Amino acid sequence: MKYLDCFRFIASRRNNELVITSAGNSGQAWWEATRDTEASFYLDASMSLSTMFGSGLALALPHQKIWAFMGDGAFCMNPGMLMVERQLDLPNLVHFLVSNRGYGATSNADLPNAAHNDYSALARSMGLTRVFEFGELSELQTGFAQVVDPNVSGHTFVVLEVEPFSAADQKLEQPPFDAPELKYRFGRYVERTAGCNIFGYKL
Amino acid sequence: MGKQEDVARRIVEEFVRCDVKLIASLPDNWIAELISELDRDDRVRHVPVNREESAIGLCAGAYMGGMGSVALMGASGLMTVLYAITKINYSYEIPLLLVTTLRGAPGDHHKHHISNGLYLQPVLNAISLPYMIINEPEDLGTITRAYHHSRTFSRPTVVALTRDLLK
Repeated sequence: MKYLDCFRFIASRRNNELVITSAGNSGQAWWEATRDTEASFYLDASMSLSTMFGSGLALALPHQKIWAFMGDGAFCMNPGMLMVERQLDLPNLVHFLVSNRGYGATSNADLPNAAHNDYSALARSMGLTRVFEFGELSELQTGFAQVVDPNVSGHTFVVLEVEPFSAADQKLEQPPFDAPELKYRFGRYVERTAGCNIFGYKL
Repeated sequence: MGKQEDVARRIVEEFVRCDVKLIASLPDNWIAELISELDRDDRVRHVPVNREESAIGLCAGAYMGGMGSVALMGASGLMTVLYAITKINYSYEIPLLLVTTLRGAPGDHHKHHISNGLYLQPVLNAISLPYMIINEPEDLGTITRAYHHSRTFSRPTVVALTRDLLK
């Protein structure tokens, strides 16, 4: 499936989920699909930690749905994160593993063992049970309702097999924020919608 | 109550005083009693993590949801998280209290911690990461000061616990 088609579809099914993107193409694609300036945290500078960030957020806000995207390049740096995610088993967190089988943000450089990595099997080996895998847009469209089923009892892990960014895709705009501005835009949005206190003072 | 247990309890009380709800940790032998104490205390949620960087990510996310947190790890673990700290906490200006062990300092009997003795403090200085060393139980209030310092300046702060304090 085309990377951008996948993200545009997921964006079209979004309600009030908070979204975390990872370093590289997922931030670009989500920005292209949504132009969201408040309810998405573009965690550009942290390979392998977007779903840990999402887990912390989901722990703090148990009534808020969180979607966290991560490329497989980042995932391979810290696959043990799934042990922590399984242990926490947060029903309000969906981990989207965007598998383009390469280092997308680095000119699609080769990923070790790319052809053989079985991310769903890896997740199941760590005890995850709500594991989904979609290779075609039509499959994603059909199965997405199960992914976001509001009555789930545990953590959800979704492998999205996508084509790498094309040369034209690589030129898409990056989320343009300076990092502190993003922190405050997102944080103030969370304070407003969740009623929590992040920064210690209100404006 | 033994000294180790007393110190562990007092450290947990400092966390609670700061309204910390989440502690993400990787073990070090010096903080084994502290980790056990965290597991026994239902006022906080202790989350063992697979590697120290995961603790940095968890705590950053918790902060953005309004939850107080602490990353707890040994000195060697701290040396592995410079990328995560500088990329997340420095770039986005996200506070973090990081509690660690002052391995490799005089009194540490483990030869393999010589690297931490030589380089931990110079590395913290090199990245301008403020740290405070606690050597005596009566100084444990420093934890609360360090936590609030981190919040005030929107940067990480480290508290390093010595062997004399913990063992």
